[in-house]
Amino acid sequence: MTETVSMPANLPAPASGARKTDWMGQTMQKRIASRYAAERRFKFMGLAAVVLSSLFLAFLLFVMVGNGAKGFITTEATLTVDMPAATGSISAEQLTGPRLSATIASIDVRRIYDNAVQAQYGKDGSRFFASTAWTALRAQLTENPDLILGKAKFWLPTSSDIDRAAKDTSTPEAEADYAQLRQAGEVRQTLNWNFLTGSDGTDPAQVGIWGSLKGSLITMVVTLFLAFPVGVLAAVYLEEYAAKNRLTDLIEVSINNLAAVPSIIFGLLGLAVFLQFFAMPRSAAIVGGLTLALMTMPVIVIASRNAIKAVPPSIREAAMGVGASPIQVVFHHVLPLAIPGIMTGTIIGMARALGETAPLLMIGMRAFTTTPPDGFTDPATVLPVQIFLWSDEVNRGFVEKTSAAIIVLLVFLLTMNAVAVYLRNRFETRW
Amino acid sequence: MTETVSAPKMSAHDVKVFYGDKQAIKGVSIDIDMDNVVAFIGPSGCGKSTFLRTLNRMNDTIPTARVEGDITLDGENIYSSKMDVVQLRARVGMVFQKPNPFPKSIYDNVAYGPRIHGLAPNKAELDQIVENSLVRAGLWNEVKDRLSESGTALSGGQQQRLCIARAIAVDPEVILMDEPCSALDPIATAKIEELIHELRGRYAIVIVTHNMQQAARVSQKTAFFHLGTMVEYGDTSDIFTNPREERTRDYITGRYG
Repeated sequence: MTETVSMPANLPAPASGARKTDWMGQTMQKRIASRYAAERRFKFMGLAAVVLSSLFLAFLLFVMVGNGAKGFITTEATLTVDMPAATGSISAEQLTGPRLSATIASIDVRRIYDNAVQAQYGKDGSRFFASTAWTALRAQLTENPDLILGKAKFWLPTSSDIDRAAKDTSTPEAEADYAQLRQAGEVRQTLNWNFLTGSDGTDPAQVGIWGSLKGSLITMVVTLFLAFPVGVLAAVYLEEYAAKNRLTDLIEVSINNLAAVPSIIFGLLGLAVFLQFFAMPRSAAIVGGLTLALMTMPVIVIASRNAIKAVPPSIREAAMGVGASPIQVVFHHVLPLAIPGIMTGTIIGMARALGETAPLLMIGMRAFTTTPPDGFTDPATVLPVQIFLWSDEVNRGFVEKTSAAIIVLLVFLLTMNAVAVYLRNRFETRW
Repeated sequence: MTETVSAPKMSAHDVKVFYGDKQAIKGVSIDIDMDNVVAFIGPSGCGKSTFLRTLNRMNDTIPTARVEGDITLDGENIYSSKMDVVQLRARVGMVFQKPNPFPKSIYDNVAYGPRIHGLAPNKAELDQIVENSLVRAGLWNEVKDRLSESGTALSGGQQQRLCIARAIAVDPEVILMDEPCSALDPIATAKIEELIHELRGRYAIVIVTHNMQQAARVSQKTAFFHLGTMVEYGDTSDIFTNPREERTRDYITGRYG
C-alpha cells in the first residue's frame, strides 16, 4: 500500500515503567478473588430480584384465580312448575310460528313462578332463589316453548346467600337452607354463562361482565380510530418533514411530558372540554374514547417516532437516490419498515387505555346500566370501572365477581401484549 | 470556443459548501464529460464525498448544509428553483458506500425506480427493464432464477451490483459512486471495477475512492481534494506519474493521508 505512514521516531515509554507487574503475587490473587466475589454477589442479587418478582406474580395469579374462578360458577336449584295447571289451556297451535311471542307475552310468568315456589318451598320459599329467577324461567320457556304444555322441572339460580353457602361460608340460615336443598338433591353448580353475557345489577349472583366489556370495546374503537392516525401522522411529520429548531424541540418535550401526565388530569381535561364546553353526553363511550385518545396519542407518537428513527438512513438515501419524492420515501419505505414498531407501541398504548379507570370516573363513565350500551352515546361503563364499582359493594357476593372481572380484564391485557410481542418478533427481524 | 471537445455533461463553478458555520468545500470548479470516468481522491474529511453529494443535491437532506456557486447539468443550473430535485436525482443516480438494497425482492429493488417514474407502461416492459439493468450490472446470471428472493439475502458484492442495477434502471445520465467498494472483498471489487469499465461512455461516471490503485485502474481523469479544495484535476496518468502539485505528490507517494 502506498498509504502507509512512517512512525514518529520517539514513542513514549510503556506506562508500567521499569517495575514489572507481578501477575502471580498475593495482592493480585486477592484482587481476583474479590472480583469473583463481587460477581457472585451481583448474580445472587439479580436472581433474588427475579425470584421475588416471580413470587409476587404467582401470588397475584393464585389469589385472583382462586377467588375469581368461583365467579364463573353459579348455583342452581330446581323448581317444578305445572304449566297447564297454571296457565289454563294453551294449545299447541298457539305456540307455532308468529303467534308464539304473543302467547308467551300473555303468560304471567312472575305469578306462576311465585305460586310454584310457594307450593314447593313453603310460604317464604322465595328466599331460596335469586330475585331475578323468574326472568330465567321466562327465558327457558321462550327458548323451549314445548315446556309450556306440560309439567316440568326447571333449574333456576339460587339467591346470592345460598350461592355463597355452596361455595364458601354464608349466614347460618343460608347454610341450613343449602343443606336442606342438598339433601333433597335439588341443587347443583354449573358454569355461569350469565356472567359472560349479562350486565351490571344489584344481585351479585346475577351480574355479568358483558355490559362493561362492550363499553370497553366501544371506547377502545373510538380511541384507536382517533389516536392511531393522528399519532402516526404527527410522528411522521415531526420525524420526516419538520425542521429541527426551537419550536420542534418544544413540541417534542411537550409530547414527552404529555405521556407522563397522570391520567386523572386527562379526565379533568375531558370533563372540562368535552362535557362542559362541547356539552357532549355524560357517561358516553364516545367521551371516554376521546379522553383516552388524548392520553394514548403521546404514547403512539413517541413509539412511532422511535420506530421511524430506527429505519436506517441508508434506505432513505437509496430511495431518494433513484428519485423518490419525500412522500414516496415515507410511504414506500419508511412506514412499511416502521410499522411493526408502530403497531407494538399502539397496542401497548391501547392496553394501557383499556386498563384506565381514573379519567373515566371523572367524566362519569360509571353508569349503572343493566343492559349493554348500544352505541357511542349510550350511558356505559368499562371493565376497570366496573371492577372498581364492584369492589366497593357491601354485599359479600361481589367479592368473587370482582376477582372474576379482574381475570377477564387480565386475559384481555395479556392477549394484547402477546400480540404486540408476536408482531415485533414476526416482522422486525427482516435484516 | 476554439476547442472541439463536446460541452461537459456536468459543470461546477466555484462551489462552496457550508455545514452551519463550518466551510467544508472552499470553491471547487470542475467539468465532467461523458467519455471519461472521473475519480475523486484525497484523505478522509477532505470534502470529496460532500462535493459528490452536491452533484445530485443529496446534501439538501442535511438541514444545516448550504451550497453556494453554480452546478449545471447540460447547461441547466441544478440549484435553480426551476430544477425539480426528484427528477434531478433520477437523472443523476447514486451508488453508496455501504450496499443498501431495499428489504424487498431483487425484482422489486430494480423495478422500484422505473415504477415511480412510470417508465414502463406494462409488466412486459418492466420485466425487460429489470432484465437489462441486471445484465448490465453483471448480476443477471447469478440471480435470474431467484428474482423474488430478498435483495438483502445476497452477498455484499452482489448487493452492491444490485444497487448499481437499481441506479441504471431509471436510465440516468450521470452515476455518482461514493466509495462503492470500500465494504467489499477484492474479488467483488474487481467485478465492480470491470462493471465501471463497461458502463463508461453510456453514463458519465464519478467515483470517490480511498484506494489509489482503484482510481488508477478505473478512471481516465482524477481530481485530488485536500482540506476542502480541489488541489489538482487532470488525466489520471498525469496525476499518478507526474503531478504538478507538491501536495498531490506527497499524497500519492504516501507521505501523508
